[in-house]
Amino acid sequence: MAGDQTNRLNNGGLIDRSTALNFRFDGKTFSGFKGDTLASALVANGVKLVGRSFKYHRPRGILTAGSEEPNALVELRSGARREANTKATTAELYEGLEAASQNRWPSLNFDVMSVNQLFAPIFVAGFYYKTFMWPAKFWEAIYEPAIRRAAGLGRAAQVPDPDHYEKAWAHCDVVIAGSGPAGLAAALAAGRSGARVILCEEDFVLGGRLLADGGTIDGLPAAEWVARAVAELTAMPDVRIMTRTTLFGVYDGGTYGAIERVNDHLPTPPEHQVRQRLWRIVARRCVVAAGSIERPIVFAGNDTPGVMMASAMRSYINRYAATPSRRIALFTNNEDGWRTAETAIAAGLQVAAVIDARPDVSPAHRSLASKGGFPVLHGAVAGVDGGKGGVRKISVSLTGGARAEVEADGLAVSGGWNPAVGLTSYHRGRPKWRDDIAAFVPDGAPPGMVAAGAANGAFGLGAGLREGFEAGAAAARDAGRSGNIGSMPVADDEAFSITPLWHVAGKGKAFVDQQHDVTASDVELAQREGFQSVEHLKRYTTLGMATDQGKTSNVAGLAIMAAVSGKSIPETGTTIYRPPYVPVAIGAFAGHHRDENFHATRLTPSHHWAAEQGAIFVDTGLWKRAQWYPRAGEKDWLESVTREVKTVRSGVGFCDVSTLGKIDVHGPDAGAFLDRVYINAFSSLAVGKARYGLMLREDGIVYDDGTTSRLAEDHYFLTTTTAKAGLVMQHLEFCRQVLFPELDVQLTSVSDQWAQFSIAGPKTRDLLKEIVDPAEDLSNEGFPFMGAREVKLRGGLKARLFRISFSGEMAFEISVPARYGEAMARNLMIAGKPFGVTPYGTEALGVMRIEKGHVAGPELNGTTTAGDLGLGKMMSTKKDFIGRVMAGREALVAPNRQVVVGIKPTDKARRLRSGAHIIPKDETPGPGNDQGYVTSVCFSPVLDQWIGLGLVERGRERIGEVVRAHDPLRGEDYDVELCNSVFYDPDGGRQRG
Amino acid sequence: MADFSWDIRSPLDRALTSGPYGAQGEAGVSLTEIRNFGLVQVMARRGKAGEMAKAAKAQFGVAAPETPKAVDTADATLIWSGPDQFLVLSKGGKHTMESLAPGFAGSASLSDQSHARALISVSGGKACAMLAKLSSIDLHPDVFAVGAAAATSMDHTSVTLWRGKDRADRQSVFNLLVFATFAESLWHTILDSAAEYGATIGHSEELA
Amino acid sequence: MRIVCPFCGERELGEFTYLGDAKPQRPAADAGEEAVYDYVYLRDNVAGVMSEHWYHGGGCRAWLKVTRNTLTHEISAVEPAAGAGAAKVGA
Repeated sequence: MAGDQTNRLNNGGLIDRSTALNFRFDGKTFSGFKGDTLASALVANGVKLVGRSFKYHRPRGILTAGSEEPNALVELRSGARREANTKATTAELYEGLEAASQNRWPSLNFDVMSVNQLFAPIFVAGFYYKTFMWPAKFWEAIYEPAIRRAAGLGRAAQVPDPDHYEKAWAHCDVVIAGSGPAGLAAALAAGRSGARVILCEEDFVLGGRLLADGGTIDGLPAAEWVARAVAELTAMPDVRIMTRTTLFGVYDGGTYGAIERVNDHLPTPPEHQVRQRLWRIVARRCVVAAGSIERPIVFAGNDTPGVMMASAMRSYINRYAATPSRRIALFTNNEDGWRTAETAIAAGLQVAAVIDARPDVSPAHRSLASKGGFPVLHGAVAGVDGGKGGVRKISVSLTGGARAEVEADGLAVSGGWNPAVGLTSYHRGRPKWRDDIAAFVPDGAPPGMVAAGAANGAFGLGAGLREGFEAGAAAARDAGRSGNIGSMPVADDEAFSITPLWHVAGKGKAFVDQQHDVTASDVELAQREGFQSVEHLKRYTTLGMATDQGKTSNVAGLAIMAAVSGKSIPETGTTIYRPPYVPVAIGAFAGHHRDENFHATRLTPSHHWAAEQGAIFVDTGLWKRAQWYPRAGEKDWLESVTREVKTVRSGVGFCDVSTLGKIDVHGPDAGAFLDRVYINAFSSLAVGKARYGLMLREDGIVYDDGTTSRLAEDHYFLTTTTAKAGLVMQHLEFCRQVLFPELDVQLTSVSDQWAQFSIAGPKTRDLLKEIVDPAEDLSNEGFPFMGAREVKLRGGLKARLFRISFSGEMAFEISVPARYGEAMARNLMIAGKPFGVTPYGTEALGVMRIEKGHVAGPELNGTTTAGDLGLGKMMSTKKDFIGRVMAGREALVAPNRQVVVGIKPTDKARRLRSGAHIIPKDETPGPGNDQGYVTSVCFSPVLDQWIGLGLVERGRERIGEVVRAHDPLRGEDYDVELCNSVFYDPDGGRQRG
Repeated sequence: MADFSWDIRSPLDRALTSGPYGAQGEAGVSLTEIRNFGLVQVMARRGKAGEMAKAAKAQFGVAAPETPKAVDTADATLIWSGPDQFLVLSKGGKHTMESLAPGFAGSASLSDQSHARALISVSGGKACAMLAKLSSIDLHPDVFAVGAAAATSMDHTSVTLWRGKDRADRQSVFNLLVFATFAESLWHTILDSAAEYGATIGHSEELA
Repeated sequence: MRIVCPFCGERELGEFTYLGDAKPQRPAADAGEEAVYDYVYLRDNVAGVMSEHWYHGGGCRAWLKVTRNTLTHEISAVEPAAGAGAAKVGA
């Protein structure tokens, strides 16, 4: 049913003619076959015009048949799956594929912006920066948006990607990039030796250039040899073949990045499957058999649809049985290009002429020309006559100065081959120039990596097999594998001769970088304007900075640069190579980590119970914490929180505080150890007692706080803030292992072992008596303030009870093993029912700590000292501890430091906001008069007004002073009074009673 | 006096739904939460690694692992968890802080971790492929053989991972101790990773 | 980057946390402010081989001394901190 596939050959190709696939391009329906790419299917349907160029909106066709394609970029799929700038040359055809051309309006055939071509002389390198300079404010508002509309590529989908992506790790002895002759030979040698091998191939079929160029290996046609090699490799349990997978980067320590397009070849991924998978491959050795990329020659009109790389033309004809043109001219400067003439003749196409830039052509090719009845013209293509309909006529300047014209509808171009030196150069490697092949080849590689075959400049088939096989064998040997590698595959070596030719002078635009519309004259202009370094050339002209990263343009660009500056190509050098080798979707890098899986989540032991209660949760670090528990009829959070606070202050409430970091500190020197990490003493703490501790950083600034209890002579139970739990553990391990290794102390995180609840309010004891075994003495004498010990609960369960208070109320914290956490919450509700118990969340917790003047995160902010927090007296003078010396520095003990103080608006109805700056009453707000800011605020149900804590210069000496709270962010300015930071029960009678 | 019940709930009690999950057909992965176990961390005191080893030998009849390995005893598995330390994982909590403390007095510090971890057994033909999405460790049987253990991370979460004896059908078995408060989050990541292979989900009170 | 933990074997970078130069030694309690100031603030900006503190927090929780070339990222040696595990230090 090739019916409408006007440019499909009747026979041949690696396509499945029994599976026709319908697809749409720019709204028009076409058909192709399984095994086609979008590009080959378009070629088969005679479509030559596939896009408009970036800057000049020039008509563009298909230039290549691989991932180096600069022109044939489409928007693939539609709706949320629309993917801009997708290369038609690598997009596999599937039933129902939808694609649209880019950067044209209203249609590809009639593009309004192609008027830009008329202004082409002014769109030179640096044009935007030179032209749209004044007035400056116009840039953001007018120029840039307009330019962005006119110049550009595809449109992003603008809605979340509905597909899933994931990341995975793989490990092997040898990873091989590319499955051409060198890659397959490397895999055979390494696999036979017993090595674990991963073979990555970006195409969906193995074979590399063999798929298009064939040849004879071990006496077999290439296709047959490939099939045998693949069968042998597939049978090896430790060889993994990954098609549709591009090795895109190399990282330290033998780690490689690869992108696997798992389901890009289907309309949507099957259920439970991902679209793409990002691999991190850890390999002892890497063989880069990524082949080489044929390079264009820069001449006027070289971007006309129908001008195509010679090797790409062979790919379309041989691999896809699709003919880009019927009457082909070939422009080459090397032996290899001639293969396209052979291919065209074999396919029954006409060869109009071969234009060869070399002085001599081999006798074999001369006789091919005479048999084929086409002329061989010595010279170069000077111009192309054609347009959006494709090539019509080619003008040739012959060696010696004469002119000739060739009529053809297609022009195959071969300027030689550039080894794919990306992977070998990603660690700042600089490739070296080889005159014999007029190309850069790898000069060393990151540790463990070696290039083989065409990627190493060995262009012949025999040489490629040999280098690949030897590299594979050596890599396996280096990885300690010594199995029998069998015999090396053998093929003839073709001759390769080249006469470098980069740029043919002529009239009209000659493109170096077709994706970014950079011309030869842009490169020359940049040089004239003083951009001497290729790095500057690149950034000024944007040469090589498009999505193809200049795979077809970089070397030509620097060669032209070298020519105009009178330097050699190696003197001019290359730009730095950086990964990724092909564009990789951000979604693949994110993998599973998006939306609710953006990061891991921690749940408290009573989480599901709290959810049942209708708790509103807040993200604090990785935790989900109950923020408040709304009840029916409450109109907003403030009403719920106020009710929770009032219930605690008048009755009893409880809160899950399991998020605090908890660390078992064991060992004979546990007390001595804590003495060194806290500013206050712990060795003197009695067994059965708890103490509040403050930790400094070595620079004297407060690090963390929390209570630590002594449960046995050699066992302390230390708590940290929720935010710093992991960091404090790391810090304490540093102290134990690095700073004080002589101390016999052991640290274990028990954060997840214990469900811990704070129970607070005047009726706390009443509630506890219901839960705790009646034999336990909870009286003030039997369990005084700051007591800590194990108790038995009703039913026999053991718990730890701590008489500590963060709310200023009579309070205990109770710990049970975490799997009892939910039962504890339920039982507290049952036991507390007669006393009107309420669960409370982090908001009420915050309100009560502010009312009580306790410092927390906003005050422990990495700039405050113990003195700033009003805790300076805790600092022991009898022992050394971390931060002691630096805490005594002049600036840290200066009398004018900003210290914690209470703040309340003079107008009781006013809402206080954190972040407001404190300015003396009669001064003008400004940096010179800024005396601090409000750190924490809440509505205090006890005082029936908004209150807060702040860090204010000499705050504690200024109690009673009225100052300005200046809040330019919210446009507010009001008077506040500095007051004692302990708003509630300042003598502490309630918590001790 | 109010009537209390002290129901115990595993960290995956709510998240785990027994039965098939993901792709249909023969399940590539089996996921089983083991709910009834005891776990005690044993850490040698300074200069007492030798004494701790002797005490472990006396207690369990086998040497405790000194390198990243998991060693089975008659009624427990001893899992390396760091230098000079190991975990005692026991069926139904047979070895408790109380029962172990006398033997290790003076040579090691003990911490109860029975409630601090969830224990997940991962097995099946696709167990390795699934774990490759979570773990940066090479789990090839030549590298990570039966009895190999690792203190490592999955999804930025610390885990203890070891390879158990192969199943009767010769499929691989991996055991995973996960911090309890992270368990539900990691469980969902595990399900996402297993979905394409099809999974059988269940729970068991006992260690296999 | 991969670091060979002396206890766990070779692991990927994500399991480790970097602290910094391992050369400065915490001064004795009576060393005075200047010595502590140097310890806290003065660092060599090494272009080449450097001894660094790394924490294997995503693994065995050992602190490590890693010898690393800051130009090439080549790691030439990894050793445990003096007090890692139950190592006995001093008398």
